[in-house]
Amino acid sequence: MDAKIKWEQIRVWLLWLALPLLLGLLAAAAIPRPVIGIIYLYDAIDSYAADNMIVQIDYAIENPEVRAVVLAFDSPGGTVVDTEAVYFELSQLRAKKPVVVAVNGMAASGAYYLSANSDYIYAKPTSLVGNIGVIGYLPPTPFVIEDVISTGPYKLWGAPRDSDMRQIDMIKEAFYQAVQLGRGDKLKIERDEILSGQIWSGIDATRMGIADELGGESDAIKKAAELAHVSNYKVENLYVSILESLGIDPYTYVSASTFFLKTPEGATLPYPSKAGIYLLYIPQLPFQP
Amino acid sequence: MKKSLYQIALAAFLLPILARGIFYYRGFAARPSISTPDYAALQIAPAPLKTPAAEAKNNAAMEGIILFDETHGNQFTPSEISALTEAIAARGGAVEFLTDSSSLEYKLKYARAFVVVSPSAPFYDAETRLIQNFTAQGGRLLVFTDATRGSVYEDYISGIPKYYSDAPAANTLLTAFDISVNDDYLYDLQHNDSNFRNVLFDEFAKAELVFGIKQAAFYGAHSLATTSGTLLLQSAESTRSSIDDEHHPQSGGAALSADGNTLALGDLTFLSSPYNKMADNAALIQNIADFTLNGERHISLKNFPFVFEKPEAQVYLASDVTFSTEVIGALGEAQSAFAADGIALTVGDKIPNEGNAIILATFDQNDEIAPYLKPFEVTLDGGEFFKISKFGSVGRYGSGLLLLQQSKTGNTLLMLANSSEDLVAFIGVIASGSLDACVLQENFGVCSVGYGGEYGQSEEATPEPVLDSTADATPQG
Repeated sequence: MDAKIKWEQIRVWLLWLALPLLLGLLAAAAIPRPVIGIIYLYDAIDSYAADNMIVQIDYAIENPEVRAVVLAFDSPGGTVVDTEAVYFELSQLRAKKPVVVAVNGMAASGAYYLSANSDYIYAKPTSLVGNIGVIGYLPPTPFVIEDVISTGPYKLWGAPRDSDMRQIDMIKEAFYQAVQLGRGDKLKIERDEILSGQIWSGIDATRMGIADELGGESDAIKKAAELAHVSNYKVENLYVSILESLGIDPYTYVSASTFFLKTPEGATLPYPSKAGIYLLYIPQLPFQP
Repeated sequence: MKKSLYQIALAAFLLPILARGIFYYRGFAARPSISTPDYAALQIAPAPLKTPAAEAKNNAAMEGIILFDETHGNQFTPSEISALTEAIAARGGAVEFLTDSSSLEYKLKYARAFVVVSPSAPFYDAETRLIQNFTAQGGRLLVFTDATRGSVYEDYISGIPKYYSDAPAANTLLTAFDISVNDDYLYDLQHNDSNFRNVLFDEFAKAELVFGIKQAAFYGAHSLATTSGTLLLQSAESTRSSIDDEHHPQSGGAALSADGNTLALGDLTFLSSPYNKMADNAALIQNIADFTLNGERHISLKNFPFVFEKPEAQVYLASDVTFSTEVIGALGEAQSAFAADGIALTVGDKIPNEGNAIILATFDQNDEIAPYLKPFEVTLDGGEFFKISKFGSVGRYGSGLLLLQQSKTGNTLLMLANSSEDLVAFIGVIASGSLDACVLQENFGVCSVGYGGEYGQSEEATPEPVLDSTADATPQG
């Protein structure tokens, strides 16, 4: 009789305690470990780099375990349209998850355009930050070429020189708005100084409110976790995660970017390989080779 | 009993979930709304209003040759300055290009204005002196510089490119006129024509050059300074110099020298299309064209053979000079020589009432030429010398006297010599196109015309050397 009672008690405990606990443990296992995703941009922003970033941003938006994203930059910027493409996607991500920027080497021009669309910016003391503005090559004065037939005076040249110049100023205005919206009251300098096109050291950028704090990538990761209210998180390079999910070895993948001009000897120059309008820091203007 | 069992089961189920959740998640991150720039509201900056009325301004009554320098590595193409050259042509002026620096002196004799555009090579002292003399005579000097017209050279050793602007080369000339071009560019982040380097000028000096101008736009311009002259174009306080990112009220976009004959501008681009029609640039270009042609050029014999207002003159032989074979030959030579300089000589049988004239006479002729001699206070008393006030007595034999008299109806060049033979030689000097053999003093000159027919008639023969037999021989060393 005692044995029967004992078994009944065990059965009750198993049914009402152990089993729910087991089920609870199983259910708890379904709660994902939070991920702080890192997106690296160590190149100019061209269509290739922009597509790459957008894929990673979308991955971060779609995957709930990615609770925050760190953008690690060493980029001189790039084309206007590719920068804008990333900027819009970044806005989607920021609406859902915190984004923190770590300026490793440089976040200039277009890269700073993107940085402005973040919750917090870390820069190293000697990182190069800023260069807010637009740069471009004016099209040549239109002329007619005997063997080229087109259907309008600017079919070949794109635009009159003067309207191209005025358009550049319009793009600058958008850049300024992006900086204002992103940095808001944190900015401690006036419009003229912001738009002077200067590139500042991390130290100066922090003083001016162009960046928030001096620090590196791990500081950015901690800040992202703090803003996302997560702990015991893991850090994932989202680019590697995506390639691995596609079965591609990320360490054998070679960039196809042809953004910068290359010499016949293969050396990369700081000038874009195509004429156009850029959000780009070109350190040696106007000395074009 | 049953209720507590349910509570235990629920607690057992939730405990691991809560434990894991709390282990990873410390709260809920509320996200702010994210705004992006209002791209749709952005607009291309409009161009400043054009001033088409100014383009129609035309004054064909002005004449003169405007000389454009091409001997100092000038960085421009004719099409870039066409708005100015067309305005000059519309006024009756003509444009010439100086391609050989050795002909500067010659061409400045007839030019109304000398225009230097973005030089890359310096001016030598001799050139500067010539140009100073030119402006002192009322000639106009215009210097256009441009902050976008530099030269890039590679360092021979390091291969590092170095940039040289046109300002230092322009200053080698402009310093003599108390104008300096700063080696900078002006910019304005607030008040500009669509770009920070496109500076708008709204403040103007009281000068004809900027009459009727309410706004001028320059595109990549140097700033200029002058202490004795006038700053013509000044910009808003928000305009800064690239040298120190400061506003300098003592410098501007254009400067006029104290004598009003030298104009320097910090921009060239405003002359070219479409910038020549922005703001009041068209009117400014018209005013500059006026400036090139309306200088009060003071002509003296230094300008010979370009001593006439219009390129034509009538030759008159006074009654004591006949059309001898020699005179005709010499006049033919002179006619060809003057024609080569663009001056048409014709012969008339009386002194013209108006227009330019060249009168040939001997010192003996007095009645016809007396009115022309009076202003120069020349005394011809029939002796061996003639006298010129403030100059002195000059031997009449083998000498030619050149007098230039200017009037509103035309200039008269009076050529006097001792005889017809001397006049023939004198015409030969004139036909050579140069008065290097003459002593010139503003509007009169005395020339050596060789040996006249009477030369030596009243002179003693050169005495034979007389040997002094008492003199010591050169002492032996």
